[in-house]
Amino acid sequence: MTDTSPPLFVRRRLRQGRDRLATVLVTAGGIGVILALLAIGVFLVVEVVPLFWATGATQVVSPETLWSPLAGGDDSVGHRWDPTASLVEGESPRVSLVPLAWGTLEAAAWALLIAVPLALGAASHSALFMSSRLRSHLKPTLELMEALPGVVIGFVAGLVLAPWVERHLADVLAMLLLLVPGLLLAGSLWSCLPPRLQQVMPLGWAGLWLLPWLLLMVVVAQALSPWLEAWAFDGDLRHWLEARLGLDIAVRNAMIVGMAMGFAVMPSVYALAEDALSGVPRSLAEGAQALGATRWQTLWRVVLPAASPGIFSAVMIGAGRAVGETMIVLMASGNAALMTWNPLDGLRSLAATIAIELPEAGPGGPHYRLLLLAALLLFVFTFLVNTLAELVRTRLRRRYRRLGGGA
Amino acid sequence: MSLESDSRMRVFRGEGPGAWLAAGSVAFSLLALLALLALLAIRGLGHFWPADVALVMLEDGRQLAGERVQEVPLPKETGRERLYRTGNRDLDGTRWDWVAVSAIAAVSKPRDMVVLERRRWGEAIGRLTALESETGERVEGEAAWAALEARLAELTSLRQALDTLRDEVILPRVRALEAGGDVGRELAIANARLRELQAAMEGGQLTLTTADGERLTVPLEQVVRARRPNAMSPLDKIIAWGEGVWRFLSEGPRAANTAGGVWPAIFGTVLMVMLMSILVTPFGVLAAIYLNEVAHQGRLTRLVRIAVRNLAGVPSIVYGVFGLGVFVYGIGGTLDEWFFDAALPSPTFGTGGLLWASLTLALLTLPVVIVATEEGLARIPDQQREGALALGATRLEMLTRVVLPMATPAMLTGVILAVARAAGEVAPLMLVGVAKLAPQVPVDGDFPFLHLDRKFMHLGYHVFDAALHGGDVQAAMPLVYATALLLVLVILVLNLTAIFLRHHLSTRHGVLGRR
Repeated sequence: MTDTSPPLFVRRRLRQGRDRLATVLVTAGGIGVILALLAIGVFLVVEVVPLFWATGATQVVSPETLWSPLAGGDDSVGHRWDPTASLVEGESPRVSLVPLAWGTLEAAAWALLIAVPLALGAASHSALFMSSRLRSHLKPTLELMEALPGVVIGFVAGLVLAPWVERHLADVLAMLLLLVPGLLLAGSLWSCLPPRLQQVMPLGWAGLWLLPWLLLMVVVAQALSPWLEAWAFDGDLRHWLEARLGLDIAVRNAMIVGMAMGFAVMPSVYALAEDALSGVPRSLAEGAQALGATRWQTLWRVVLPAASPGIFSAVMIGAGRAVGETMIVLMASGNAALMTWNPLDGLRSLAATIAIELPEAGPGGPHYRLLLLAALLLFVFTFLVNTLAELVRTRLRRRYRRLGGGA
Repeated sequence: MSLESDSRMRVFRGEGPGAWLAAGSVAFSLLALLALLALLAIRGLGHFWPADVALVMLEDGRQLAGERVQEVPLPKETGRERLYRTGNRDLDGTRWDWVAVSAIAAVSKPRDMVVLERRRWGEAIGRLTALESETGERVEGEAAWAALEARLAELTSLRQALDTLRDEVILPRVRALEAGGDVGRELAIANARLRELQAAMEGGQLTLTTADGERLTVPLEQVVRARRPNAMSPLDKIIAWGEGVWRFLSEGPRAANTAGGVWPAIFGTVLMVMLMSILVTPFGVLAAIYLNEVAHQGRLTRLVRIAVRNLAGVPSIVYGVFGLGVFVYGIGGTLDEWFFDAALPSPTFGTGGLLWASLTLALLTLPVVIVATEEGLARIPDQQREGALALGATRLEMLTRVVLPMATPAMLTGVILAVARAAGEVAPLMLVGVAKLAPQVPVDGDFPFLHLDRKFMHLGYHVFDAALHGGDVQAAMPLVYATALLLVLVILVLNLTAIFLRHHLSTRHGVLGRR
């Protein structure tokens, strides 16, 4: 064997050995990385368990205190989250997770209430009506919107939007009331336009040329709001809400969180719903239109039902994001652990509680483990919701393939 | 049916109201996005514009001078009120003044109003009446302004000389002395020079007459900058604006994060994200190659793939909890016991730091990289692999010579998306090592140069902290806007790069597929 060129069989051995080594390394590395990822769930479970089984120094918190109301509570508030003051010797712990879970779900519900109609409307418009050029620009734009950091949205919501809304409650109400009639008015006005103008402003580009119209609506709403306030609310909406309905109004409230998080969640719901809608085999929609259905009827009766599992999974993904979003809730909600139906009052979510309290809670103590339990809840919830969405989506894809092949 | 009624009916019979509501939701979302970006851009960039100083005379004879900030309707009454930033916090106790518009008698913009930026107490606004130089000469009137400008230029160059002396001469000598070197003489010379410079900077003061006639004396070394915005031409203002933006990007924060710049936060963000991408890229690619090329494509692999995909949807705060529990308390605590026993009980690695933050974010973005790389790998036609194998290549050679080069754009897209996600995440960082104000940057001249155990500043956390925890939130707001704008710009650029790459990728593979 000479040094300069080893015989062929040695080289082949070397190559095969290297190949085998690389395969082993890749396998080990790949499995290792995936195990490290999956270790998150295991870690949370392992850390939470001592909360319920006493092992030496840790204080045991009975599971009942986490969700049942306080016995002999002094007031109407049965559930309390007050770990720093109550996790000391000799006191019954007030560590009910119920108000936190309530706050989380309330914030998510408001966010979805705003995000889902917007996202579905936008998705159906872009899947069926929008010109393909605008659509190819809209998708990346909304992806950019999805990438906006939560801390920026939270800052704008909590420090700019919230004080403004507090001062202009009536304006916001007037805008909400005017939004739908205003859009319908735009539609009927458009149909009265001469055909040449209609060609200049086709429905396919309505997403853009409705922008100035919406701005006009905002101005009109601001002009009308004093009349609205004087006519329906004795001249002061805020006072009316407080006196007549007995609502407390906090500057940073569930409504603001809902708006901000709706804004943050909307793009991801849109992207998935749009995928589902535009994935419906064209033959279905074309068949319906050939039978004389309008595009809207096609959407409503044919495309939407066919894509409904995809829409469902889009909403699920949105719910998962809304439940876990931390910074927006932290900055825009006031973080008071309340349980009310009042959308104008504050709330405190699980994620925000973890962010606030975990750095202060020493490792190993009951407070620390309680917060880890909260994290585990979030983990399990989002993991289940996402898995459900993913399974539904896989099934949907198979269904499309069948429909497309059969037609 | 007449033509006219036909055209009127068509919209509701033709497409129905739903079509318009759907179009409206697109427009509404775009409007919200544009409004947010415009708000950030206008407020964030507008802060650096040298605004005119208005001298306001009120009906009751009081006078005030300040920059007009905003005007809103009075609560519970008709009429409006205006907010002026009047500065002079050491005299009035506040730097803001609300004035009812109806109470204003006259507003003028005299050219000689001076705005001083000071090291302490924020801005001072007034007329320059006198300047006493370091030698005790007293100048008044217009000459005082010229003398002030000259002296400030001098002070700036002195300050620069001082900084270079400290960073390049004294600090290395001090370190050498600590290490046992014999540099005492050199250090003494340098210290003498330092004292000389400091002495040259001392002395001199200026007197400002505020709008309501009070006198304010400011030592010259306290003055950072002075300008007369009402006398500036538009070109001067643009130059001043550019300088303001540059200082914001290049200086450290002052006055409890309510003034100054964000350089340490930019540095911390970039460094953390770089470390994170160094960690996440090899592991993510490795896992993707395993899942797509090596693993048996059975039920288990499919389940693992779904699980990995779902981990991308797990809230970031959960990753933060994991990072705190496992990296900081678990691994960090153990490292401290083994190697940094001397420093205990004050933790070295057992507390949040750069390394743990990067690791946590790497874990958080791992699913993003895995999913993107896998998509890229799956898109490569099997013929390519089979062709390579048929020519006698081993699997390793097939992977490194054929498959990976073709999947590079997909990997790059994944990494860029991961970086964009990591740059905007704040919640997990709050648990694993971000700091409100880090006195030491994690990189310096001390061995080992990169200090992985140090806490660092972050743009996103800076926004959160200055907006919610600052003392004078109103004063910090413009800087928060600017910081938020900067963060959004960084993330937009990263995402645009990813979108561009993906577009490039799809066209290239489109060509491949057709062939």
